[in-house]
Amino acid sequence: MPRTAGGIEVEGTVVECLRNANFRVELTNGHKVLAHISGKIRKNYIKIVLEDRVLVELSPYDLDRGRIIFRYRN
Amino acid sequence: MNTLTLSRVAENQWHAIENDLVVGRGHAARRLDGRTFLSIDTWREAVFDRLAAAMLADLADQEAPQYTVVDETDRDLIANWERAGFTRERRESEFVVPTELTPADAPPGVVITTASEAPLRELDRAIRAEIEATVGWQTMPAEVLPWQGGTRPLDPSKYTVATRDGRYVGMVRVATMTRRPRIGLVAVLTAERRHGIARALLTRTLSGLHQAGFEAATAEVDETNTAALALFDGLGAKRTGGSLELISRPGRV
Repeated sequence: MPRTAGGIEVEGTVVECLRNANFRVELTNGHKVLAHISGKIRKNYIKIVLEDRVLVELSPYDLDRGRIIFRYRN
Repeated sequence: MNTLTLSRVAENQWHAIENDLVVGRGHAARRLDGRTFLSIDTWREAVFDRLAAAMLADLADQEAPQYTVVDETDRDLIANWERAGFTRERRESEFVVPTELTPADAPPGVVITTASEAPLRELDRAIRAEIEATVGWQTMPAEVLPWQGGTRPLDPSKYTVATRDGRYVGMVRVATMTRRPRIGLVAVLTAERRHGIARALLTRTLSGLHQAGFEAATAEVDETNTAALALFDGLGAKRTGGSLELISRPGRV
């Protein structure tokens, strides 16, 4: 079974909504990353707004970038 | 030299694998309207292109179009899909609608009330029939269209309806599962339009949301739907963004 290249998943909070469908997400360790939304989020028409709690999959190529793969409801 | 291999790991899932690592994922989801929603997640453009080509080849025997939805400002992702042969089909504007407003009066003889399932289904069917009888039905969101060969789930608690002489003539659906409620649908029978029923439905619903502690709601409106655009504009809604629907029709790429 192949491993995933984007294996690091971290919780965070959306602190800024940017242009180009990007979001600034502050991770639980205080680090801020630039994240865009995953296909699954788009498929389900889920809107990401300021202060949403999200799960971010960090890029293995650049730990300052990530992909929002889940939005928590609260 | 690294070799990229593509694998269809399930009926609706594809993986791009390099050095025993999954470096890209593709997913296909059949929607209510029979079309297939495609998504691809990868960090590399070349992997996107290979995955898209493999997915489209595997799905080439489907008659219904494939489509995806992309934020209108996401130029990289739009370019990726256009390289794969997708074209721009339609655009939806996203609005934030304030909830602090005075409910508009319903027109004489019309009552705004909560919904019951049986008459709600009847209204849903009637509005669907009207939509399908017009040239614009292809642009309606998937959620408005029927299940293929089944009964569409319909939760009356999410609806507020307008009735005239006991007959349902209009409805609004709101989802409140997240911090910001979403207006999912506003619909009025053709014969009852242009009397302020949609405005009465919406303002009553938004006012209720305000009393429940919500300051705003969101809504998406097709850019060609001038009546809905005017309705939301009149309620003080602010455009916050938009999304593009990109489409590929098998056999035409």
